[in-house]
Amino acid sequence: MEGWDPTTKSTLTQIPLLTTRAGPRDGAAWTQRLKEEYKALIAYTSMNKSKDNDWFRISAANPEGTRWTGKCWYIHNLLKYEFDLQFDIPVTYPATAPELELPQLDGKTHKMYRGGKICLTVHFKPLWAKNCPRFGIAHALCLGLAPWLAAEIPILVDSGMIKHKDDTASSSEDQNQ
Amino acid sequence: MDEELLELQRQFEFAQQAKSSVRLSERNVVELVQKLQQLGIIDFDLLHTTSGKEYITPEQLRKEIGEEIKKLGRVSVIDLADITGVDLYHVEKQAEHLVSNDPNLMLVNGEIITNSYWDGVAEEINERLQECSQIVLAEIAAQLQVGSELVLSILEPRVGTLIKGRLEGGQLYTPAYVARVNAMVRGAARGVFVPLNLPALWNSLQGLLAETDGASGVAVEGSFFQSLFNGLVKEGEILGSLRAGVHWTPTVFAVAQKECVDSFFSQNSYIDYGAVQKLGIPQPVQYLQSRYSEGIALDTLFAHPSIVEMLDSSAEDAFERGSWVDALSVLPSSFSSQDASKVLSLCPSVQNALKSNKAIILGDSYVFSNGFLQVLFDRLENDTETLNLDPSASLGLSDSSQTNNDASSNDALSGSNETGKLGLSGKQAPDKGSKKKKGKSMGNSKMEAAEVDLDYQETAPTKSKKNQKKSKVASSSHASDSRPGAKKDNDKTKEDSLNCISEEWLIQKIKPMVPDIEEQGIEDPEAFLAPLASYLRPKLLNSLKERRKAAFTQNAQRMKRVMDNLQRKLDESFLNMQLYEKALDLFEDDPSTSVLLHKHLLRSTATPIVDFLLLDLDTHNKLKNGIEAEDSEKTESTLSPGDRNTLAKSLPGPLSQKALAVIESLEAKRVETFMTALRALVDESGLVLKKLDKKLERTLLHSYRKDLLSQISAESDPVSILPKVVSLLYVQIHGKALQAPGRAISIAVTRLKDKLDDEAFKILQDYQAATVSLLALMAGATGDVSIFFYFTLIVFSGKTLVYLIEHTQSFYGFLFICYIDFVLMFTYLNLALCMLYDMSQKNSHKFTTIVMV
Repeated sequence: MEGWDPTTKSTLTQIPLLTTRAGPRDGAAWTQRLKEEYKALIAYTSMNKSKDNDWFRISAANPEGTRWTGKCWYIHNLLKYEFDLQFDIPVTYPATAPELELPQLDGKTHKMYRGGKICLTVHFKPLWAKNCPRFGIAHALCLGLAPWLAAEIPILVDSGMIKHKDDTASSSEDQNQ
Repeated sequence: MDEELLELQRQFEFAQQAKSSVRLSERNVVELVQKLQQLGIIDFDLLHTTSGKEYITPEQLRKEIGEEIKKLGRVSVIDLADITGVDLYHVEKQAEHLVSNDPNLMLVNGEIITNSYWDGVAEEINERLQECSQIVLAEIAAQLQVGSELVLSILEPRVGTLIKGRLEGGQLYTPAYVARVNAMVRGAARGVFVPLNLPALWNSLQGLLAETDGASGVAVEGSFFQSLFNGLVKEGEILGSLRAGVHWTPTVFAVAQKECVDSFFSQNSYIDYGAVQKLGIPQPVQYLQSRYSEGIALDTLFAHPSIVEMLDSSAEDAFERGSWVDALSVLPSSFSSQDASKVLSLCPSVQNALKSNKAIILGDSYVFSNGFLQVLFDRLENDTETLNLDPSASLGLSDSSQTNNDASSNDALSGSNETGKLGLSGKQAPDKGSKKKKGKSMGNSKMEAAEVDLDYQETAPTKSKKNQKKSKVASSSHASDSRPGAKKDNDKTKEDSLNCISEEWLIQKIKPMVPDIEEQGIEDPEAFLAPLASYLRPKLLNSLKERRKAAFTQNAQRMKRVMDNLQRKLDESFLNMQLYEKALDLFEDDPSTSVLLHKHLLRSTATPIVDFLLLDLDTHNKLKNGIEAEDSEKTESTLSPGDRNTLAKSLPGPLSQKALAVIESLEAKRVETFMTALRALVDESGLVLKKLDKKLERTLLHSYRKDLLSQISAESDPVSILPKVVSLLYVQIHGKALQAPGRAISIAVTRLKDKLDDEAFKILQDYQAATVSLLALMAGATGDVSIFFYFTLIVFSGKTLVYLIEHTQSFYGFLFICYIDFVLMFTYLNLALCMLYDMSQKNSHKFTTIVMV
């Protein structure tokens, strides 16, 4: 589990692990899996809240729970930078990790695939594969997005690629809409 | 859709909607606290835990510590630091604060312990003690992991209350156990009747305890016994005295000891230190002195003054009687000689006597009154005196002893030394005698002789030569007695001889003089006599020496006189002798006459010489020995051959031999042999024989002639005139002095024939014939007037003849003148002869002999 800072690691270990190996096409098993996903997310969220480290809001965009949307934010220099977050549960899930997308930042940084999918560290994939099916959405957020935000946002802000929403209120509102 | 899923969605929604708690970072909090402290809002000390995450106030810390202590009763400060999570420093500080404020707490070796904890421990110990009856404190201390001293200090106040037992020497005992041991100690102490080292007793008791208790028994320390013992002594349960904490002397023993000493001392008036020591008193002198202040401490024993009084009275008695006393015999037998001498020195009478020189202490214990000593001394002196005065008596003895010595030692040196000594003086004799005596008394004369030899050898090598020299010197000193060296030597020899009065000899002498030695029952008279002898000996020697010296100086004068006289007489007579001897040459050709003459000379001249020589030498010898010799002035009388021999034998050594030779030669027929023997004797006796020289001869001859003439002129006996006339004629004619006996006169006369002219010779012949006839007549009858007449006639004729010979130049002329007278006289003579012949018919044989002559 090298490659991550100690805080991330400690947090990750506190997220409850999942047990059911089921993808979106597995019917009831998937529902079972979805329940576990929710439990893990609740635990992670409440954990974040208790540590005063709440950084995202997500919810299932469809009843099957294969598409998720929400927001994520990062506080830099006492300013809160907030971005849209969306991802699909892949069919091969949980063998394949979901691809997290930040569409607002598409094209603004090269640590991102086309369509706003963030580039994860090289350590992520093997770790995920190793922990299949115990890792779920909460783990993916914790291991993937949180470090990415902490690494990229300060650079992006400093390089002026992104601006605080107060400065770019109109444009960001436009984009959101 | 699944209810549960919905529910979960809702919950998730809710969770996301929930307000997130606000949190300050630690750094912020620390800064905030610091700010608060700066602002004075927090105005008390804040401590922080070792984790750095907590602040704590001292009060809280103290409270926590207090709670912790209350909970456990005994807490280590280090443990407290761990428990409270506060730095050790603060914990210690607060703990100290806490302990100092609370008397029930104590801080020991980094541990805080409450009194209640100790109470609990004490109770536990008590329980165990009741089980085991004894516990070693060290064991407890090890169990509790505290110092045994601490345990002791904790337990001491609780013994008797919480702990029902007794704390003794690092051990706890139950009263029952203590009582048991106490009983043992008491029994053991009461059983001891002699002084004892207590540790030894404790050891045996420990052994006993170990046996009774078996393996579980803990060794009881000696100090426990000791304290029990001390308690018993204090209570008076056992009686005795303790010295230096360990030496126990039971009262029984002390009492017995005291009684023993008391009884012995009061019964015997003394007590031996050895005996006292045997009774177990290590320092008898101090002990006795402190007990009997009036007693006298002696070397080996302690005496009551009554002992001194007793000895004093007996000594006083002895002084009054003029006797002696042996302190050892008066005192009890256990008195040593040193003690006796000490006691003697304490006797007032002895002291007085010693001060006033009335008594003397000899050999430690013998006290002799001066009177006794004086008597003894006088007798001894007399004894030695008689010994000295009787040299000839002991001479034989000395000779025998001497030969004995020689035989045993074959030491030529010492032999010669002895003979030298003998030759020197007969003084050797007395000590020889003493030696003989000694030899007899010892019974082993051989050994004795060897011993004597040793004595001699001591002096022999140095003295023998010296003595020989000395003898020469001495002999010369006889001739001229003025040399001081000679005198000194004499003294020395005298001392030598004096030294031979040995102590053994004295002891032998004293023994019979003190008859009460045996009465007094002294087993070893030697021990008694030896000091006496050694005391008397120097005195005796001194007196003897004095006496000898006096005698010597007195005698020296006389000796000198004797010798001078002797020399003078010898000179005179010897010269004469020589003179006469020369005349003998004239008759060498006639053996019979020569023998006659020799004999006559020896008898007439030599014999007196030998006689006075012998007598004077004897006198001298006696004088030299310090013996009062009778005056020899009158000894002109002739001696018999026997007398001569005894005299000669009485002379010492070689002198006597030579003297004997002289006497022998006297009997022989040759004058020459006598002369050589005489020379030898005279040489030996240290006199000088003068040689006759021409000048002396002439003067002597002259005086001889004169003498003869005066004799002739004074003479009235015709018979004695004849040889003188003949001698005178010989002097005149031959220049030689002839001493001829009557029988040789005729021959002498015939010899003159050639020398005188006929007339003179005729006259002489006639004269001789007349004399012969006269002699015959005299033999026949006496008192006849006619004979007397003829006598005077013949005498006158002889005198005239001599006168003529002397006083006329022409000898023969005068002879001629006288001739007529002579013829006339001769006729008368013839007449007388005829008459005589008639008258003496009876004595015809005599007449015939005369005629024959």
